[in-house]
Amino acid sequence: MTTQAATAGTRATGLARRLGLGFLRKTWLVALLLGIWWLVTSAGWVASYKLPPPGAVVQSIKDGFFGDAQIGSAVVDTFIRLLEGWSVGVVAAIALGISTAAVPFLEDGIRPVLAGLQAVPTIAFLPLAILWFGFGPSAVLAITMFGTFKPMVLATYAAVHQVSPTLRLAGKAMGAKGFFYQRTLILPATVPSLVTGLRLSWAFAWRSLMAAELIVGGTPGLGQVLELGREINAIDLVVAVIVIIALIGIVVEQIVFTRFERWVRHRWGLAQPV
Amino acid sequence: MMSRAHADSVPADSGVNAEQAQIVPTLRVRGVSKTYDDRGPALAETSIDVAPGEFIALVGPSGCGKSTLLSMIAGLLKPDTGAIELEGEVVTGPGGPRAMVFQDAALMPWLTVRHNVEYGMRAQGTPKAERRSRAMDALAMVHLDSVPDRHPHELSGGMRQRVAIARALVLRPRLLLMDEPFSALDAQTRTVLHDELQRIWIETRPAVVFVTHNLMEAAFLADTVYLLSRGPGRIVQRYRVEVPRPRDETDSRLAGIRNDMLSRMRVESENVAAAGSNVPPPPMRGLIE
Repeated sequence: MTTQAATAGTRATGLARRLGLGFLRKTWLVALLLGIWWLVTSAGWVASYKLPPPGAVVQSIKDGFFGDAQIGSAVVDTFIRLLEGWSVGVVAAIALGISTAAVPFLEDGIRPVLAGLQAVPTIAFLPLAILWFGFGPSAVLAITMFGTFKPMVLATYAAVHQVSPTLRLAGKAMGAKGFFYQRTLILPATVPSLVTGLRLSWAFAWRSLMAAELIVGGTPGLGQVLELGREINAIDLVVAVIVIIALIGIVVEQIVFTRFERWVRHRWGLAQPV
Repeated sequence: MMSRAHADSVPADSGVNAEQAQIVPTLRVRGVSKTYDDRGPALAETSIDVAPGEFIALVGPSGCGKSTLLSMIAGLLKPDTGAIELEGEVVTGPGGPRAMVFQDAALMPWLTVRHNVEYGMRAQGTPKAERRSRAMDALAMVHLDSVPDRHPHELSGGMRQRVAIARALVLRPRLLLMDEPFSALDAQTRTVLHDELQRIWIETRPAVVFVTHNLMEAAFLADTVYLLSRGPGRIVQRYRVEVPRPRDETDSRLAGIRNDMLSRMRVESENVAAAGSNVPPPPMRGLIE
């Protein structure tokens, strides 16, 4: 009886923690910042042309999605471009990383080149991209792919080096070799370590994409909306775009990456991060 | 062969056994040696013959070169001198009629038990239906046909090692290489797996090279036990274990053989210790009595 009660008690606390306390722990600072923002703007301590009140931003997001400012289509355009650039960059990086990691001579040659390229902010390559692909969405897409590609190749190298030597020997002893060996043993064995690289390259993809969209006018997307907001002095529109990008980031992290990592760690039999 | 005689010991350097001279040995190790660039000599020139269906054990303390020798037999490491012949042909890489079981099961964590067992057949291009039925047969042999869809991390250490054995046997090897396969398991699981391995070996009869530092395990499982010593690694003694099968691990004859080997091992460790200051710590370490 007592054990049952205790179990029920633990379960109740667990539930409370998951629903209430957990949520509170993750949102208190957001709420506090929102409060301060509302306070300083509504009290008139900061001029509204420098920082719009929260209400104005919410209004402009509403107008943007349901009115005429076309934030909705800009979000879709940018997000699709991001997915295209990121996925192509990731696939190319993993393919190049795994195939060249199999040949030490190639990897040793490629590494310093990549390290050098990685030291240069991707956006510095934009003038070149514009020259090659024209002043428009193609150049922006190319920059996004390149921004994804660089850190992802390095992450793939790191992941390949973490594959257990015994597992490699076991595969070879069973007669696996060449492309089959790379595809069925090395690639799946790298997946848990690749998750970190996917996150990192996603962040890099966003950065290069937004910078490129801001510079290359005539490319429909959030960058264009930001630029418009600056031109017409609609500061609430600018803040609205920032908020939207942040929200997309949270959703992707919580729904896509966290779940994917949890699934990978479960399937590969690794401990779950606390 | 199956006489009730106690184990006799013969000098190790006689490469070919008189009674096996007329058949082509499954494995012939001829004057093989290995020196590592960073760690110095690992194995002095060594010769061993393994007859078809013969179970041999390589026993010795850590650093005696037994795992080095096994890697070379597996084709995963190139010998500096000499050659390794598999059914009369010189070994140049892995594959062929060999299969290997490692100390940690080395299963692929992302594949189910059945897919792990099928992996080698996939690499060799066996048709899907045949792969499936052979995998299930091999799993039945190790009593794991009830859990083909589980993943390795859902199994105990002993079960994982059974999968590793099934994965090797499914390739129908004529030479099975086992690198301390039970040394990471608890004593009870190990005993159960000894009996299982003996039964499976009697049913399938591949030639086996079994590396261990456990003298009792070697005496129980093997037809022939090669005792190795270190500094650098070399064979110091060969024992024929002529206890009929199926054997029982409590058999006093096995204990007798184990004791013989142990005394030989002690003498050897004193010799090594006396040999010079450049020889690293007591060779007895890592030896389960």
